[in-house]
Amino acid sequence: MKQFLKLIFFSLIFTSAEVFAQENVELVAQCAASSGDVTYLKDFIVKLDAGVPGGNPPSAKFSMVLSKNTQYRFSICTAPDSDGEAILQLFDMNELQGSTYISATGKEFPFFDFKCQKTGVYHVFISFKEGRPGEAVGILSFVKKL
Amino acid sequence: MIKKLITLFVVSLLIFSCKSGGNGGKSDDFDVPEDILNEGVLEISEEVMQDIVQNISSPVEMAALVKSLDVNFSKKYLAPTDNVDELATSFQQALHLGIYAADLGYLNIYNKTNSVIEYITAIKTLADAVRVGQFFDFTTLKRLAQSNQNLDSLMYISVHSFNQMDKYLRSDNRSNLSTLMITGIWIEGLYLATQVAKSDPHPQLAERIGEQKIIMGDLMLILDNYKGDKNFAKIIDELLQLKEEFNDVTITIQKGEPEAIEEDGMLIIVQNDVSVVNISDEKLNSIIEKTEQIRNKLISI
Repeated sequence: MKQFLKLIFFSLIFTSAEVFAQENVELVAQCAASSGDVTYLKDFIVKLDAGVPGGNPPSAKFSMVLSKNTQYRFSICTAPDSDGEAILQLFDMNELQGSTYISATGKEFPFFDFKCQKTGVYHVFISFKEGRPGEAVGILSFVKKL
Repeated sequence: MIKKLITLFVVSLLIFSCKSGGNGGKSDDFDVPEDILNEGVLEISEEVMQDIVQNISSPVEMAALVKSLDVNFSKKYLAPTDNVDELATSFQQALHLGIYAADLGYLNIYNKTNSVIEYITAIKTLADAVRVGQFFDFTTLKRLAQSNQNLDSLMYISVHSFNQMDKYLRSDNRSNLSTLMITGIWIEGLYLATQVAKSDPHPQLAERIGEQKIIMGDLMLILDNYKGDKNFAKIIDELLQLKEEFNDVTITIQKGEPEAIEEDGMLIIVQNDVSVVNISDEKLNSIIEKTEQIRNKLISI
């Protein structure tokens, strides 16, 4: 009987993993489509647990090379069932370049464009407001040459 | 009753594992030469590797730059696909997968759907051989290319497929093959840029070629992880000669603060740090020559 329950447990895990992967693919496609008339380059899939009270919100980091004289678009889409709302921030070394959420004004943007003037490695951080748990997809798209 | 239920679950699990394994799962009889498998301790961790490899080379951006300079499309820049069936090892297959990915990006940017089918067919063959074919939606791509419609979807599915393959290879402990794919994309992109620079010189193109010095540093770091393998050692030796050519290229940074502009409710960030590339004509010519030499050697493997 114990073995029987184990089998059920593992089969459920495998099935849910497949469903989760499928949902990711759909969310990436939806998010890329909602980014406008641009060319999709990369996606950043994130699933984060809730943060510890008083601590920094958990975040996921992705590094990428961006090229000079290129306009890129960074989009963020929170998964429908997520508790938290996702924020995408772009850093050059430790210097914040852009964010989909401006904390000073409380304004939110589904995406922002970045006119890159320096070829190099940049970092994208995705986190959830107030350190809530959630799933999200970030998209990097090519807009145009400058 | 319990016995029957257990049998039912065992059978369903077997069916499930066959389905998910299909082309993607790892099996012991996978035809990878022993000397190419990930083995031992990597000099840099998988985590750091993943940190480096995101967007190190895009199959789209170099082609987009070339098109933005009003340079006409030329099929002569593409790697031939007629020897695909002769590529016997996963080393050759993964490397060519990257080379053809860059060529597909070039074809897509110029909307050359007629030639797309030849390249997606070659890619499908190689993707199946490397057991990442499940991420390459050949049927949809072929339909889109034949109908010459929904070119945005054609581009999206192509790029997304390569991202999926790359992610899967890395998660499947086959970062070595992912590295080869990335190397293939990068060298073919550089080949395109240098060949165009040879026939249609342009300052933006020269600058982009010079900037590859930065990217090459990261690429070599990843490749170096596998220098114990004789095939990797060969490619590293070739690329080290190219890296040497970049030694005289200088890149300086002029500092500035980023500006945020809101236009029609859209946020645009203008970076005011500017990189300036200094590359002499002589150096550019030697990089063009070296790139051509290496790339032609790689496609003749």
